[in-house]
Amino acid sequence: MSDTVRPETEDALAAFVAEADSKALPLDIRGGGTKRALGRPTQTGATIDLSGLTGITLYEPSELVIAARAGTPVADVEAALAENGQHLAFEPMDYRHLYGMNGGSSTIGAVAACNISGPRRIMTGAARDSLIGVRLVNGKGEAVKSGGRVMKNVTGYDLVKLMAGAHGTLGILTEVTFKVLPKPEAALTLVYAGLADEKAREAMSEALGSPFEITGAAHLPGDPARTLLRIEGFPQSLDYRAGELTRDLKRFGTPERLETEASETEWQAIRDVVPLAAPTERAVWRISTAPTRGPAVAAAISNRIDAAYYFDWGGGLIWLACAAEGDAGAAIIREALGGKGHATLVRAPDDIRAAVDVFEPQPDALMALTKGVKTTFDPGGILNPGRMYAGV
Amino acid sequence: MQTNFSAELLKDPAMQASEEILRTCVHCGFCTATCPTYVLLGDELDSPRGRIYQIKDMFENEKPASADVVKHVDRCLSCLSCMTTCPSGVHYMHLVDHARAYIEETHDRGVLDKMMRSVLAFVLPYPSRFRWSLYGAMIGKPFAPLLRLIPGIGPRLAAMLALAPSTVAPRSALEGPRTIAAKGERTARVAILSGCAQRVLQPGTNDATIELLTRMGVEIVLPEGEGCCGALVHHMGNETASHAQAAQNVDAWTREIEGEGLDAIIITASGCGTTVKDYGFMFRDDPAYAEKAAKVSDLTKDITEFLEGMDLPEAVVETDAVLAYHSACSMQHGQQIKTAPQKLLKRSGFKVKDVPEGHLCCGSAGVYNIMQPEIASELKVRKVKNIESVEPDVIATGNIGCITQIGSGTDTPILHTVELINWVTGGVRPGALEDVILPGERKAGENPFLAAAE
Amino acid sequence: MTLIAMPEADPTVLARRADIVKELKRFLPETSIIVSEDERRAYDTDALTAYRQLPMVVVLPETTEQVSEILGFCNAEGIKVVARGAGTSLAGGALPAEDAIVIGVSKMNQVLDVDFDNRTARVQAGITNIGISNAVAHAGFFYAPDPSSQLACTIAGNVAMNSGGAHCLKYGVTTNNVLGVKAVLIDGTVVEVGGDWLDAAGYDWLGLLIGSEGQLAIVTEVTVRLLRTAEGARPILLGFDRVETAGACVSDIIASGIIPVAIEYMDKPAIKVCESFAHAGYPLDVEALLIVEVEGSDDEIEFYLDKITAIAEKHAPQSLKVSQSEAESAAIWKGRKAAFGAIGRVSDYMCMDGTIPTGQLPHVLKRISEICESYDLGVANIFHAGDGNLHPLVLYNMNDPAEMVKVEECGAEILKLCVEVGGCLTGEHGVGIEKRELMTHQFDQVDLDQQMALKGVFDPQWLLNPAKVFPLANRPKPAQTGQRVAA
Repeated sequence: MSDTVRPETEDALAAFVAEADSKALPLDIRGGGTKRALGRPTQTGATIDLSGLTGITLYEPSELVIAARAGTPVADVEAALAENGQHLAFEPMDYRHLYGMNGGSSTIGAVAACNISGPRRIMTGAARDSLIGVRLVNGKGEAVKSGGRVMKNVTGYDLVKLMAGAHGTLGILTEVTFKVLPKPEAALTLVYAGLADEKAREAMSEALGSPFEITGAAHLPGDPARTLLRIEGFPQSLDYRAGELTRDLKRFGTPERLETEASETEWQAIRDVVPLAAPTERAVWRISTAPTRGPAVAAAISNRIDAAYYFDWGGGLIWLACAAEGDAGAAIIREALGGKGHATLVRAPDDIRAAVDVFEPQPDALMALTKGVKTTFDPGGILNPGRMYAGV
Repeated sequence: MQTNFSAELLKDPAMQASEEILRTCVHCGFCTATCPTYVLLGDELDSPRGRIYQIKDMFENEKPASADVVKHVDRCLSCLSCMTTCPSGVHYMHLVDHARAYIEETHDRGVLDKMMRSVLAFVLPYPSRFRWSLYGAMIGKPFAPLLRLIPGIGPRLAAMLALAPSTVAPRSALEGPRTIAAKGERTARVAILSGCAQRVLQPGTNDATIELLTRMGVEIVLPEGEGCCGALVHHMGNETASHAQAAQNVDAWTREIEGEGLDAIIITASGCGTTVKDYGFMFRDDPAYAEKAAKVSDLTKDITEFLEGMDLPEAVVETDAVLAYHSACSMQHGQQIKTAPQKLLKRSGFKVKDVPEGHLCCGSAGVYNIMQPEIASELKVRKVKNIESVEPDVIATGNIGCITQIGSGTDTPILHTVELINWVTGGVRPGALEDVILPGERKAGENPFLAAAE
Repeated sequence: MTLIAMPEADPTVLARRADIVKELKRFLPETSIIVSEDERRAYDTDALTAYRQLPMVVVLPETTEQVSEILGFCNAEGIKVVARGAGTSLAGGALPAEDAIVIGVSKMNQVLDVDFDNRTARVQAGITNIGISNAVAHAGFFYAPDPSSQLACTIAGNVAMNSGGAHCLKYGVTTNNVLGVKAVLIDGTVVEVGGDWLDAAGYDWLGLLIGSEGQLAIVTEVTVRLLRTAEGARPILLGFDRVETAGACVSDIIASGIIPVAIEYMDKPAIKVCESFAHAGYPLDVEALLIVEVEGSDDEIEFYLDKITAIAEKHAPQSLKVSQSEAESAAIWKGRKAAFGAIGRVSDYMCMDGTIPTGQLPHVLKRISEICESYDLGVANIFHAGDGNLHPLVLYNMNDPAEMVKVEECGAEILKLCVEVGGCLTGEHGVGIEKRELMTHQFDQVDLDQQMALKGVFDPQWLLNPAKVFPLANRPKPAQTGQRVAA
């Protein structure tokens, strides 16, 4: 690693990227530096530090919209929203626990670029669903915009979505606009104890299929196993819905109730993968599949390797830790998925992440499109090269 | 929608009316979704919007109807589901009627098709001819599989035989012109359309209507000179014949209106009701008939519409039967009668259930089940499946065509609403229930559990 | 005539028409190919009838394999393709081209699989939007996006246009409710993206395909998210004597922390027409009507309605009425959803679809009436107020060519206004043919170039729905026949 550039305007950034492109200088894009270990290790000639591009550029609480420059710390955005009783509904995960970091702060641009969501995704959608506008600099040094500040907008192709989850391989986000929601007045979590994985999945499916608007459904195996269902809203409504749910789910036992603060602590831990953060030397996978297949996939893996895991998203999101040896379980995990879902290696030493497919390999046709799309944004291949896939 | 009719063309009042209809259409496409033929075939050409467009093109350019256009217009059931759906109020019925007449004028259907249509037009509207042909059909039934093999019209002949009942109902004792006095004090005087096919296939319907109404103090007249409403030939595009038949009815009823007076003209087959209610439009440009026809249309009521506002006689029979109500297209779309029959049946003690996809036609549609046997049969299967999904003990409807069509696809008894109402309020037991005992059937007031134990 | 030009047809393709039909017959049944002029005529437009163009041939495939064969053939032969769902586009999204094959998916209308445990349904792309909800309603579920044309429009069209609807204030639009698609690329390759899980792998192909107006691929199967129907829902009607007051009320409701499932707006001309169709009990003496709907249990509904009532009362509404029954609620929505068609009873119209920041509502509504007045054209406003998605219906006489030009100019001015105040040209109907030439008002050339470059990756010869979305000027030169997708 080498030079770090810290542009303070989009123009300066664009000029630098154009120059880098002409020199075929590969660039590493850095926001708050909390997710350096996410994705494949990259070989770059310079680092773009976005911490100079900060500040909330637009916030209209009555229009449920906030825009900020990409380098703005998530905490700043959340604080501004909290003042007006609003929040980022998709509850972005904080990777610092997983990577054993104490300092630093994730940026709002990274939340968009990596499409980072949390448990509430099952109810209110992912980061990409709340992201309604972007500005970016592509690999040619051109400033491009897509979307805007209104939540219904189908004008032109949806590059906003394409940028979400592209991990900076298509463009450097300079400004992002999110739709926001009122923060619920109160939260309540029902905790069922001692359910086996499949039984817990049934309970979660039933709750999620109820009209009571579950905003979190997770299952933590262990002794005893705990199955958590979160509801949010105004207090009177919570009592009513908790009562109805408890009655509907009677066959799964009598739940313990966690009120607002206790509930929040619990869900923050689930969101940030705290249960699997230690031991720090183990590899951690993020596996996405249909909820009904979750328990079987987890069982198929843990039958073959020593793995610890828990479920979020009603059983459809499996966080799994295993030994960081060999391929860190990649082959076994992907075999267990059988193509019906995907697995991402979110924590492992550099050498393993360099050797193993960190992101799910794609079918040939989609890989060809991936390369084609990359070429249109970044013909020189200078933006986070290889971060997601070799050669992209 | 933009139109492009020449001034010359618009001098024709029929063209002018159609142009006005076309101008109200915004081509939004809502109608496609509820059109039975589009639902089955998935081709816009077989949807109302597609047909409207084809008709528009044919009219505007004064083209003789092409075989393609004829095919798609012929496939229209005239169920008028599209008119219920249409937010813009496009009068599809008048447009397609005009197109059918235009097709008859400008298109040569070929010998076999023409012959088939002439035979139907010669037989069906005339009860005695129809009755004799049914005897013939009874003999012909075993040959249906052979007939099917005749190229061109074979499938249609086979369909016709399949629909014919295996026994012919005896003539009603009340057939022929007469007046039937009200029991007790006379509260109203009405004419009942004796009709054509229904009179032969299900004489019980009008008998039950007469029995019920007279008990309710209504005097009934079956006027001299009345016959088929004209719908059968009207839907084949034969305007001359349909207008002649309609005029005959207008004359017959006008004599009564101007004589002892009529409070209503009661129709017991909703298909006929849709047409009679349209007499006013059919004769709008005929100085001799316009006013009389409008008066007739005004007085015309489906039997359930007439009964809705009245007190029914007290029920003497109760049941726990689940009843599926099949709303005929001519009832719900043609006449926009959507709740009266169900309400009456509920008042009469039945557990009434609506049928899923209730807006879709059963495939009967006048002579459609003979002329388009394949589509008609697919619709029948779909309809029966939907009806049976509510697990009914009995099916009620308000149109003879549906009774014949659906009845040929299910073992559950199907009969006219008025026959059930007449029976539970003290009238004769309907023929369709002769060999059937409905669940929990008992005299009114009797303990159902004791009744079941007997 | 009209301000919008169609590109010239390729004479070499037109000359091969008979051979092309013969080739298509190799992989399609007779009933799936429409050749005669009389029959093609019915496919010459969609719900934007101001623009019409007879296609070269129409095909109605019944399987993904057939779609794949057709596209493979078209790609090899350099033949343009216009995909069509139910033809309900108000932006001319399904308008054919003279030298193009129209591929209609209306015969592929089946539900393939419903999975209540995972809350997903896999359907063929030609099923109607409401057909999905109808198939799962018995179990208490529904598919959330509800464009007003939901009775007729297909999920294929919804995916192409990223359709919204009245209830997307709470539930989002198509892109937020689709989990997977099976799509056919221009060279005939069938790809599956996503599935019955919540986030798809790799780049967000779903996000890119949804809303790409049939220009990147043809979708034949869709896996959608199902949601559980709320315990109850009830609309409240709020009538105001001034447009501005209604606008201020919308802002206050949203700022209060309540997210109703829908906030719909109608002005006086629209109210009158819709009431005569639906008999919903709309107040006829108000200038502006809001339909605000909330969901939940009875108690929750009461709670929200009390809060909304309190907010509304600060704005002194002329009328305030809560729906008293399911039938009344159904009639209220029937009137709203049939509004565009119902306006057809009184006049031809051009339906605009710009979105604006909701804070700009009063200003923009005032400007719209001024603009329409300056063209001497009437206007009825019906729109989704909660998210600022406007639908001014500019009234005109379609049989008058001069008014046709006027209405295009007037519409363009309204849409430019939407962009000026921070909004966009189209909120849910798509760019289609209608707004193609206005794209430069919202985007710089570099933005458009980036989008068009993507088009080139999926469809190097620019065969899929070619005349739409991007202005005809400054387009890249398409690849020649024979070059393959994403080499």
